[in-house]
Amino acid sequence: MIGLSGRLRSSLIIGGQGIRARKLRTLLSMLSLFLGVLAVVTVQAGSVIAQRALLADIEMTAGKDGTLQVFLPSHPQSAPVAMDTVRGRPDAVAVTSSRAIIGEPDVRPINEGGGPIDDAGGAYAAGPTMRCDSSGVCTTTQEAGEGDQPPKGQAIELTLQGLSGDIRQFRPFRQKSGQWLDFGSAPSLAPRIVVNTKAAEALRRFRVPAELWVNGAVANVTPRIVGVVEDGGYGPAAYVRTDELLNWMPAKALADPNFGGAQLMMSPAAADLEQILRSRLAAAGANVDELAVQPVNSLEEMADQISLLRWIFLGMAALVLLIGVAGILNVGLATVGERVEEFALRRAVGTPRLLLAGIVLAETLLTGLLTAVLAIGAGVVGLKGASWLLADREPFLADVAFPWQAGVAGVIAGLVAGVLGGLIPAVRAARIPIATVMRA
Amino acid sequence: MTSLVQLTGITKTLKGQGRDRVILDGVDLTLLAGESVAVLGRSGSGKSTLLSLIGLFDRPDGGQYLLGEQDITRIPERRAAALRSAEFGFVFQRFFLLKHLTAVQNVSMALVNGQGWLPRRKRRARAMAALDRMGIAHLARHKPPRLSGGEQQRVAIARALVREPRILLADEPTGALDTETGNLVVEALRATTDRGSALVLVTHDHDHAAKMSRVLHLTDGVLAPAEVAS
Repeated sequence: MIGLSGRLRSSLIIGGQGIRARKLRTLLSMLSLFLGVLAVVTVQAGSVIAQRALLADIEMTAGKDGTLQVFLPSHPQSAPVAMDTVRGRPDAVAVTSSRAIIGEPDVRPINEGGGPIDDAGGAYAAGPTMRCDSSGVCTTTQEAGEGDQPPKGQAIELTLQGLSGDIRQFRPFRQKSGQWLDFGSAPSLAPRIVVNTKAAEALRRFRVPAELWVNGAVANVTPRIVGVVEDGGYGPAAYVRTDELLNWMPAKALADPNFGGAQLMMSPAAADLEQILRSRLAAAGANVDELAVQPVNSLEEMADQISLLRWIFLGMAALVLLIGVAGILNVGLATVGERVEEFALRRAVGTPRLLLAGIVLAETLLTGLLTAVLAIGAGVVGLKGASWLLADREPFLADVAFPWQAGVAGVIAGLVAGVLGGLIPAVRAARIPIATVMRA
Repeated sequence: MTSLVQLTGITKTLKGQGRDRVILDGVDLTLLAGESVAVLGRSGSGKSTLLSLIGLFDRPDGGQYLLGEQDITRIPERRAAALRSAEFGFVFQRFFLLKHLTAVQNVSMALVNGQGWLPRRKRRARAMAALDRMGIAHLARHKPPRLSGGEQQRVAIARALVREPRILLADEPTGALDTETGNLVVEALRATTDRGSALVLVTHDHDHAAKMSRVLHLTDGVLAPAEVAS
């Protein structure tokens, strides 16, 4: 152990002396390797950041990994039973979806059907509105004899999601302005709503009156918009406390099967809820065979999507790295050729062959490591710069941290390049005949 | 006196193109502690080959090599490296100082050879002591290009002595020096035997050889005592 430590130290000391003695050569080796290591760092950092950004977007819409999604049967009692079951439980939230319109009453909204506001009336605009009943029979408004359509007006159609609790533990929305719903306070008669950025943009572009129509509600209400969130959705949406919504509509009308119906989001630890829910729904007359529980598995699905792309980029980075390795190899062989007498002399004073090889490897490894540190530094600075310059255009770049995985990949790439580039010169150095010094 | 090295019937043949060339043909040599031996001979007579066999740079084709009482005729390279470090010091015609290191670093490089470990301070102290022995401690921080030939050779001798070897092998150490400087270097080498080391000096210079306790001549691969007029 002591011998190994002495040899390791010796090789590091002599390697360090070698690097200091040949600064220009070391610099040239580093230059040839720098781009390769930087490519590896960039690809790794890019893929991790992209993965984080994608995951963050997916989590907002689908939920965090491991969250259990419970799809409730299409039954008028499903929503009331679900809300009653999760009341007071912090590990589950009942979500109901309804159709809502903010703006002029009795007009056709600008984005009829609740689609993206940018596409309203465009190529992807919704056709005649289709409605389905609880038995799954669907008809369009025209087929249903609703040919006399009201005129188009200043109104925005959106999906209104009623929440029994704070859903952000499962779907981490990004607060853009204002505040999130306060579930701790007493319910208000005028529903407080938080809109998503798509709805906020629509409200900014079209100055619509503050009147909220909700499908099934007994009256139109004046909404109080308290905040804006990014929820990852494509269409306008709003979030409201279910208990505030219940002031204006019967519990049975809460979940519109055309807008997603009712569902439950719960943590894996709340698995007991499923059984309770089944029993209570069965007692309420719902067909519990329609109840489906599905765990959110976004990361795995996304990893499949991103891995191919990452391998392609890593392959390209490896090629660049290979060029760097060739550079180190070239400089290493030339250096060993120049240092034949030094290595022979070192053998004459008792340095074993293995240590000579270790000295050459230590030099290339230190060079690789130094290059890796520089490349990682460049990556960190580059990411900071990109974040500073592009954060307004690309929100995922705001406050983005340099991923440690990229740092590790950079160090590994530098060390591997050092080993690959230094191996042949090291073997050559170890084979230099000791008698060289006698014949010189 | 104690026998440090005993060579018996050592042979060495160099493989050449077409025909082999016998360099050493049954060399016998006994080296005692505190003894200085000069080896004379024409160029190509095998003096350096003999030195490289004694110093374990190479192995003989035949004969026996005893170091103390240990038979090291067929010693593996790993053990030979350890013995070179512990028992031998080498001085060459060309000084082989590393240009990027200072004089004291050149001396202490012999202590950073993977054979045991000394902390930096101890390495430096020993190197400084060796330089002091050669009378050039004041040049410790100078790099070789700033030193004269004689000073460089004395740094090289300090490097050979820093591990306090029992056997010092010098291969034409004055070949690149003027007469006066050469004399100083030979005197410095001879003085090492005062501490009990043995010295083998390969030289062409009869005057330098005359300063050794024994003079041998290598002719046709055979080592024999020589008469040298001092």
